[in-house]
Amino acid sequence: MTYLGQIYAIVWKDLLLELRTRERIAAMGAFAVLAGILFNYSMDQTVVKAQDIAAGLIWMTLVFGGLLGIGRTFHLEAQDGAFQGVLTSPAPKDAVYVGKVTANFVLLYIVALLVVGVFTLFFGLDLGEHPGMLALALALGSLGFVALGTLFSAVSSGTHMGETLLPILVFPLLVPMVIYGVSATGRLLAGRPVADIAGNLRMLGAFAVLAVGVGAVLFRFVVEE
Amino acid sequence: MLSTASPRPDGTHVRSVVTPHAPAVSRGAPPVLSARGLTREFGVVVAVDGIDLELDAGDFLTVFGPNGAGKTTLLSLLGGRLKPTRGEVWVGGERLAFSETAWRARIGVLSHQSFLYAHLTVAENLRFFGKLFGLTDLDERIPARLEQVGLADRSDFLARQLSHGMRQRAALARALLHDPELVLLDEPYTGLDPYAASVLRGVLSSLKDGRRTVVMVTHNLTQGLELADRLAIQVRGRFGWYGEREAVEPETFEHFYHQVVEAGNA
Amino acid sequence: MPSKMLRVGGSVMAVLGVLGMLVLHWMVFFWTPTEASMGIIQRIFYIHVPSAWVAFFAFGIVALCGAMYLWLGDERLDHAAASAAEGGMVFTTIVLLTGPLWGRIAWGTYWTWEPRLTLTLLLWFIYLGYFLVRSSTENPERGKRFSAVVGIVGALDIPLIHLSVLWFRSLHPTPVVMKPEGPTLHPDMLLTLVVGLISFTLLFLGGFLQRYTLAVATHLAAVRERGARS
Repeated sequence: MTYLGQIYAIVWKDLLLELRTRERIAAMGAFAVLAGILFNYSMDQTVVKAQDIAAGLIWMTLVFGGLLGIGRTFHLEAQDGAFQGVLTSPAPKDAVYVGKVTANFVLLYIVALLVVGVFTLFFGLDLGEHPGMLALALALGSLGFVALGTLFSAVSSGTHMGETLLPILVFPLLVPMVIYGVSATGRLLAGRPVADIAGNLRMLGAFAVLAVGVGAVLFRFVVEE
Repeated sequence: MLSTASPRPDGTHVRSVVTPHAPAVSRGAPPVLSARGLTREFGVVVAVDGIDLELDAGDFLTVFGPNGAGKTTLLSLLGGRLKPTRGEVWVGGERLAFSETAWRARIGVLSHQSFLYAHLTVAENLRFFGKLFGLTDLDERIPARLEQVGLADRSDFLARQLSHGMRQRAALARALLHDPELVLLDEPYTGLDPYAASVLRGVLSSLKDGRRTVVMVTHNLTQGLELADRLAIQVRGRFGWYGEREAVEPETFEHFYHQVVEAGNA
Repeated sequence: MPSKMLRVGGSVMAVLGVLGMLVLHWMVFFWTPTEASMGIIQRIFYIHVPSAWVAFFAFGIVALCGAMYLWLGDERLDHAAASAAEGGMVFTTIVLLTGPLWGRIAWGTYWTWEPRLTLTLLLWFIYLGYFLVRSSTENPERGKRFSAVVGIVGALDIPLIHLSVLWFRSLHPTPVVMKPEGPTLHPDMLLTLVVGLISFTLLFLGGFLQRYTLAVATHLAAVRERGARS
């Protein structure tokens, strides 16, 4: 089916470009590790246990680092007008959006796993009985984040202020994701049963679905010149 | 519309209001491309101001004009990159709705930007755009197109490794990959070395196959006259003159062009 | 609706709103009973709550007009959205000034992450984003579309933010238990509140209509001037 083929083409192209340039993954990956180092020196671990606050640290690192990468989503597209070629093709704008979100999600999720891995290493975290649930919570949160971030990255790329505008536009909207994501992660790290986080996962899922849906509808108005 | 002292290509002047429409040629089928009152504003700047045109299959229209006349904007409107502020575009008798996308498969655009990803190879670029256009026979199509533009041996070069002339040829292959019936070219000869220019000329001649329609924008009067059937001179967003190629003599055209531009700027 | 009618309607509403304000202030200072636990400072509630109502009501208009603008393309819808946003941001600011002031005097702290006040703070930033994208594009039409998107996404997210913040609060109750409206509202207090809600709304709508007609008139003047020049 052409629609899926078009989405797949965009995902493949974005990931191939990222593989060739390593622009964003390098920046986000370095951020993750360096943030971990700074966090180590910003906590007095004789007073505060890293395990207790790790959930917040992980998600905030993901948000700040993720925004670095997501802000550059349309950077390579702007060179040589390549994105114009995409926009004037028969690919529907929502397909382009879904493709971009998918590619960004892959990148961000890799970084999310990296953050958890690095923080586990640095702070001796115990990931609890249900690492799969942890992975799921991160995935759902990342998806919602990427959906909003990609939409507003297209917006900020069209302004003079550029990427500096992105935090202002996106951070207020991320509050639900942070609240439910950190809660789910924190509970899992504290060893609580999966039933305790079911509600959080549902909210994260709803947030992600809503974000992707709204983004798919609104993207065409954002890229129109 | 021009008033008083409108130049004519044969050197005389018409002392009346001239409506710059090409003579209507009825050939039964609806025109491949037509525009009525096409207007595009950017805030208070009017880049394209009420342009009408009509082209049939096989027509080759060259649009001349000074910088800032709105030629690129006109092409962007015809190619669906921009939405008109007012007026309409019809392709093959169907009125274009900006939001629909199927008609975009019938248009190929060559701009002064290459529309290629610098970090992908020529073949990867073509494969990507081929997928967007829903093409299935890319394994045959891509080598054939590259052959046509003389880049068959460079298909695995990254786009950024190509010289400007080669990149433009690759961009041409991209523009024609899906065999569009309407081809739009924005200053295609700019910055091309003689070999690339001759390749381009060859490809453009091959487009004059009677079923494809071409609109080319250029400053270069000589190159613009070569293949054209219809000509237009755009000044300040409007057609200062729009007519048949046969109506002009290459020797006097430059003088005529300058007259039209001056009249349009007045 | 012809501009003249809107402008006159706007003026009438604004005047009624101001009169309502005068009545409200008289009621607040001289008539309404004093709340038992918080004392005199509680009266700021009659400014604080109506402002919050208007702030969110205005944003609803922003989002709705923005969505219709994207769908229908009518410039006037964008003028309406922008006009509502201007008024809305003003009232949001009033909420953010009165809230902490009240908190400081009544309970000793400026900021306690009270869910509704937090939501209003986030709303302020969404308004900020709305104006920033409008004014920082090269092509003004794009800026209008961007701001409509900000409005729509903001309006859809606000209920989710509210839910999540309330839920967070329920897990982490703070020592200061705030009950802004008191355990129950005495009928006189309720009346004062209603007068406040009505006058603030009238004042906002009056200002909104005035601002809207001004925006439309400015736009028409620009169009006419451009027509005369060419």
